Amino acid sequence: MSHPLNRTTCEEAFRRLDDFLDRRLSQTEMRMIEEHLEICAACTREFTFEASVLTGIRRKLRQLSVPPDLLARIAAEIRAAGNSDSS
Amino acid sequence: MLEESPTAPPRSAPEPKAARPPAEFEALFAAVATTAFGIAVRLTRNQADAEDLVQEAALLAFRAFASFEPGTNFRAWFFKILTNCYFSKRRREKSRPVTSDLDDTPDLYLYARSGEAGFPTQGLDPAAQLLDQLGTERVVAAIDRLPEEYRVVSTLYFMEDLSYEEIAQVLGCPIGTVRSRLHRGRKMLQKALWQVAQEDGIISHHTTSTGE
Repeated sequence: MSHPLNRTTCEEAFRRLDDFLDRRLSQTEMRMIEEHLEICAACTREFTFEASVLTGIRRKLRQLSVPPDLLARIAAEIRAAGNSDSS
Repeated sequence: MLEESPTAPPRSAPEPKAARPPAEFEALFAAVATTAFGIAVRLTRNQADAEDLVQEAALLAFRAFASFEPGTNFRAWFFKILTNCYFSKRRREKSRPVTSDLDDTPDLYLYARSGEAGFPTQGLDPAAQLLDQLGTERVVAAIDRLPEEYRVVSTLYFMEDLSYEEIAQVLGCPIGTVRSRLHRGRKMLQKALWQVAQEDGIISHHTTSTGE
């Protein structure tokens, strides 16, 4: 029933949630969390939900495209600047 | 005049030498243009200002292109110029007062609220059901509610999988600052998303009353 000393607790896992999702932990710590998630359904739900939020936000934000005339305007301006700089 | 602009690119803004052809710059710029525009929209909060910002940053970057080392990270280099441009413009304007009720957002905010409201909290992509009901512009609206320092970091993070190191490079701040702002910004964003969902009527009334 008690946590073995070498076993990651829910609190320790939770403290590393953001870093885990961003893969900012050392290999050892990543493995520790993964092992914890294998045996802890509650933490797995929380971690999966947080990952899903991040993925969902990214998915939404990347649906924007550049106005086509903006690129043309910038290209024209850069070429004009290049010409004036070299003359 | 652009040469006198305070929106100086990183390190030094060399005199325009035009040592390299516009086509070389354009090729590199084209690869980051979509993301740059997306970031600019998020920063400026409107499309017209975003277009101006990207255009100004592009010209400034081109003029400083001689200082860019080929083979290094053009994306981070350009985004730094873009954000410098933005901050410089902001300084020229009156600062908007920051009013945020997001500061005290508890951990796992959306998880807890979703559970209360009967949205899924389990499965392969449990947040999708809630987020898919919010249009892109509403997610943008949620990001807009973050205090600026969190909004900028979150924008860079969500738009293009920039690493913490790249974000630190872009913003000229320590990696630890990026990390703490990002972690806190994510919590705030969850609450902001919930507020937006409430305003859109996605969350039913009885849960609205518990949703702060």
